[in-house]
Amino acid sequence: MALRDLSRQAWMWKILSFVLFFGAWEIAGQIPISLSFPTFVDTFVAFMRMTFDGSFLGAYAQTVQPLLIGVLISSFAGIACGVGMGLWRGFEWCTLVIFIILQAAPVAAIIPLITYLYGIGLTSKVIAVVIMSLPLIVLNSYKGIRHTHPSLLEMSRSFQGSRMQEIMKIILPAASPLIFAGLRLGVGAGFIGVVLAELLITPTGIGDLITYHRSVADYPEMFAAITSIIVLAAVTLTGLLKLEVFVRPENRAR
Amino acid sequence: MGKAFRFASRLIAPAVLLAAASVVQSPASAGEIRLGLGDIESVETLNLMIAIERTKARGVDVNLISFKSEDVANQAIVNDQADIGIGTPYAIIQKVKAPIRLFFQLSTLQFYPVVNTEHYKTWKDLDGGDLVVHSRTSGTLAIANLMALKHGIKYGSISYVPGSEVRALGMLKGNIKASIIDSVNTNFLKSKDAKKFQVLPLGDLAASDEALFARKDYLEKNAADVQVFLEELVKTWREINKNPAIVQTERTKYGLLKDLPKDLEKEILPYFEVGAAGGMFPNDGGGASAARADFDFYSVAGQIKGNAADLKVEDFWYLKPLDTVLNKLK
Repeated sequence: MALRDLSRQAWMWKILSFVLFFGAWEIAGQIPISLSFPTFVDTFVAFMRMTFDGSFLGAYAQTVQPLLIGVLISSFAGIACGVGMGLWRGFEWCTLVIFIILQAAPVAAIIPLITYLYGIGLTSKVIAVVIMSLPLIVLNSYKGIRHTHPSLLEMSRSFQGSRMQEIMKIILPAASPLIFAGLRLGVGAGFIGVVLAELLITPTGIGDLITYHRSVADYPEMFAAITSIIVLAAVTLTGLLKLEVFVRPENRAR
Repeated sequence: MGKAFRFASRLIAPAVLLAAASVVQSPASAGEIRLGLGDIESVETLNLMIAIERTKARGVDVNLISFKSEDVANQAIVNDQADIGIGTPYAIIQKVKAPIRLFFQLSTLQFYPVVNTEHYKTWKDLDGGDLVVHSRTSGTLAIANLMALKHGIKYGSISYVPGSEVRALGMLKGNIKASIIDSVNTNFLKSKDAKKFQVLPLGDLAASDEALFARKDYLEKNAADVQVFLEELVKTWREINKNPAIVQTERTKYGLLKDLPKDLEKEILPYFEVGAAGGMFPNDGGGASAARADFDFYSVAGQIKGNAADLKVEDFWYLKPLDTVLNKLK
């Protein structure tokens, strides 16, 4: 009973938070704080119109392509690389510095350089996504492996567990919360990467919607396009969180 | 106490965020014009830079601010963070009723339809062909649409690649077969292979490529400063049309673009010679006739909605400063 009340309260807080934010947005648009700043209602109407007239569908059919390819490459390569770095010192020494530099690099400045190497097509956009998301996934996976509690490893050895058993039954399960956290951060960064690529390389997909509506001063549509990518990113990350709970139910309480 | 604080912070946070967004910069002082350029200083802005130096010599300080794009420059003007902008903000004026007006045509559109003759040789060849332009609402697309109407053709596909230099490189590499690009890059392609890259006939285009615009209240309150700036612009444009070579002498005199590479230095004279010959720099600042040409052109480009013939010049242009200057200079 108490749990249900708490859950209901949490929902109320979330709804109240949205109401306050959208209310403040509406007031700011009504004042207006800038002539180019649309009201929440205008943006919502534009959002619904673009949802039903197929604008978003067409745009996301293009945007999802580099995003999905980039995130899949980053996820598989990133986890494999991070686990490898965590397990083998030699591999760590060779690669850790590269990912630390990549994580610190200002990607918006690097993206134009990518076009010099790979042109303006799909490859450049996929690379932009990978550059954004890969370091986060690698470094989190690496830290997850490295931070396995020593007492768990000692226990495995005292039970004469093999190296493979140690990795599969102790290290990877212990590292999974950080690996999943890295995946969530990496996917979030992938969204930033694909939008940057579509704004800075060639306007396609959601980047084209933003650029086009800005150039013809359709600001409610422009804000709706930006909102849509935020909503999609939030939904995707929430989905990943649910997936984590499904795969590792013992993490639900954390 | 903790709960109350959390409650208050949840209430206040969104409002604080939005309030912070409304903070504006202080306006410029009298005798100073903040000019927002949606680009970097280059060969193509040398004429403007000369006019600015001459304006400064008459006691009106012009502070040139470079923004990343024309859109950002437009927002700076709308939000009173710069005084005069450069561009063609018809969509903002029409759709959000921004109190800004154009008042001087800096240049007319000088774009050229360039084809790779291995694929296309005439406009008719482009029927069903592939064309690459700048963006969905650009002047280059409007030119493409106008030419399609004029020649009764329909393109097979239209793709978007921003930047004339990028499209020119694409043509050079063979990735792009036909495009509409600016004069500098057209000359660059012709210099590489004059047989392979040829310009299709276009006819006259009087629409604005760049124009000066500002908030109408700014133009009214700072009429004296604006008049000095406009006088120097008109005089400089007329001098360049008579003798394009003065751009080089004035550049040396004022020490403009000192770091310009030697390769680009060679482009200064041809750029202004071609521009002057093609009527790129209007002697009269454009005015009402430029506005009418813009209505026709930018309606096709999709920036202006409605019937071009029904639009009123005074809803988009403020002609008083230019008329005053033209009466004085004759």
